[in-house]
Amino acid sequence: MSRNRIAVVAGVLVLFVIVGGILIYASRSGGKPVTLNVTVIGGKTMNPPDLAAHQNDTVTVNVTSDTDGEVHLHGYDLIFNAKKGQTVSKTFKADKSGSYPIEWESTSTELGQLVVSP
Amino acid sequence: MILLHGFGQRYDLPISLALYLYAAAGVVVISFVLVYLFAGDQVGAKAIHYSRRPVPALLPIARSRWPRIVGGIIGIAGLLAIVITGLFGSNNHPELNPAEYLTWVYFWAGLVILSGLVGNLWYLVNPWAAIYDAVSKLVHVKPIWKLPNVGVWPATAAYFAFACLELTTGMANRPWLVGVLALVYSVVTLAGMFLFGRDEWLEHCEGFTVLFNIIGRFGPVETERDEAGRISTVYLRPWGVGLLQPSPAGWDRVVFVILMLSTLAFDGILYTRPWSDFNLALEPIWLPMGAFGFFFVRTLGLVLLTVTFLLVFITFMELVIFLGKRNVDVKATISAFALTLVPIALVYNAAHNYTYLVLQSQALIPLLNDPLAKGWHLLPALAAFKPNFALAQASTVWYAQVVLIVLGHVIAVYLAHLRAGERFRTAQRALLSQYPMLLLMVMYTMTSLWILAQPITREAG
Repeated sequence: MSRNRIAVVAGVLVLFVIVGGILIYASRSGGKPVTLNVTVIGGKTMNPPDLAAHQNDTVTVNVTSDTDGEVHLHGYDLIFNAKKGQTVSKTFKADKSGSYPIEWESTSTELGQLVVSP
Repeated sequence: MILLHGFGQRYDLPISLALYLYAAAGVVVISFVLVYLFAGDQVGAKAIHYSRRPVPALLPIARSRWPRIVGGIIGIAGLLAIVITGLFGSNNHPELNPAEYLTWVYFWAGLVILSGLVGNLWYLVNPWAAIYDAVSKLVHVKPIWKLPNVGVWPATAAYFAFACLELTTGMANRPWLVGVLALVYSVVTLAGMFLFGRDEWLEHCEGFTVLFNIIGRFGPVETERDEAGRISTVYLRPWGVGLLQPSPAGWDRVVFVILMLSTLAFDGILYTRPWSDFNLALEPIWLPMGAFGFFFVRTLGLVLLTVTFLLVFITFMELVIFLGKRNVDVKATISAFALTLVPIALVYNAAHNYTYLVLQSQALIPLLNDPLAKGWHLLPALAAFKPNFALAQASTVWYAQVVLIVLGHVIAVYLAHLRAGERFRTAQRALLSQYPMLLLMVMYTMTSLWILAQPITREAG
């Protein structure tokens, strides 16, 4: 490839990269308080199963369970010590984006997930 | 819960729709720019001539025995660590067993990506080659039998078996099994090398050697040897162009490359909605088979995907040869073009495994305090280590993924263009023959992007 053609390809690539960067980094939201209430039934299912927040939100999760046990939020590594009929709350800053599974710890049953989008 | 991937949690977010569309549009636009620029280029052997830069500073390192010695020690230590922690470490909690991290994260995800980036590292760390070399220094070894003309079919079978262990057995997260298989494979490989000859065995029957040879061709380091077999010059070259170097032709090699592509894609497809639907549709068939059913349906999926990839590739290649209008050796031409798809597979692999590698590689650190889960405190300072997510934020990951995918696509299209110039007689014919290949590459890149944009589905067991 001659120099000119390399320059054209490089130019197109650089343009692509810059516009992509603007597209990704310009569309950020978050930093708001969010409260998520969930109910765990029998250590098997969670209602609702899918929780959503934005990065840098201050998230409060209230877990209510009909059985005793541990509910584990992966990635953030938070453990809710659920007691039958009681609500356990934890508040944290959603500083990591990603999709984090929520498990019933003793049986490793996946209850749902917390999706933190940018 | 049955882990979807071979081992370890993935926290990836699918890339956003806007970004997906943007990247897809970018791929199409840049493909047309490339084709337009390439029109009327050189043909014949000159076409695949690429520029490389001799680097005399690297020659003493390449000639020195030390990289092999240090690499060999690392390789043997890694293999020993996998076998020992696999057999004697925590078996009920794979996430506490170093064998899992060393095999699936460091070796499988890490070494492949790193080798694409810097060159064939397996050549340096291959533990079996290192053991063989050490033994042959002490005692004189001579192969007893001659390996029949099997091509790389045994290596293809070994690679397929490894892919099945990772993706279809659902048992990759059993450290004990990983340890046992590492031991068995070591025994087989060493026996093969001693009985049939070191390089004969490695280059035809050892799946990882064949795989890393292909990946190494993508890498930027090239060496030339003199008549005595000593390295005479070390070159640096652009990424990817090494795939244009002459390579043995044959259906075995084509199937190996296609298997590389299909296993990588399958790893991603497992997380998608269409895969759950496929699974669900076949439930009446595999559910009655019990534990075997899981393996059956996944292996079926992997085989179907590989056959589909192979058929699509061959169909497009027939079209390429038809439009190139030249009596070429079909097998040699198809083999040569297969390698031009490798960049797309490698960048997809890097994009797909980036977050997994960054996060899971850190999870090994606290385990060094107690590698066998016996309650030891070897390195208490590391016990409380928590993975750092700074490099795994979704915006950064998405950005890296999209840029990588587009770069890989550009490299692949460029290589296919040079290859067409070499194979077909006139520039016009070469250009015409490129359209099917371009379409195939756009389809393949789009498939990669599509997988990255799928919401991750999880199976609860």
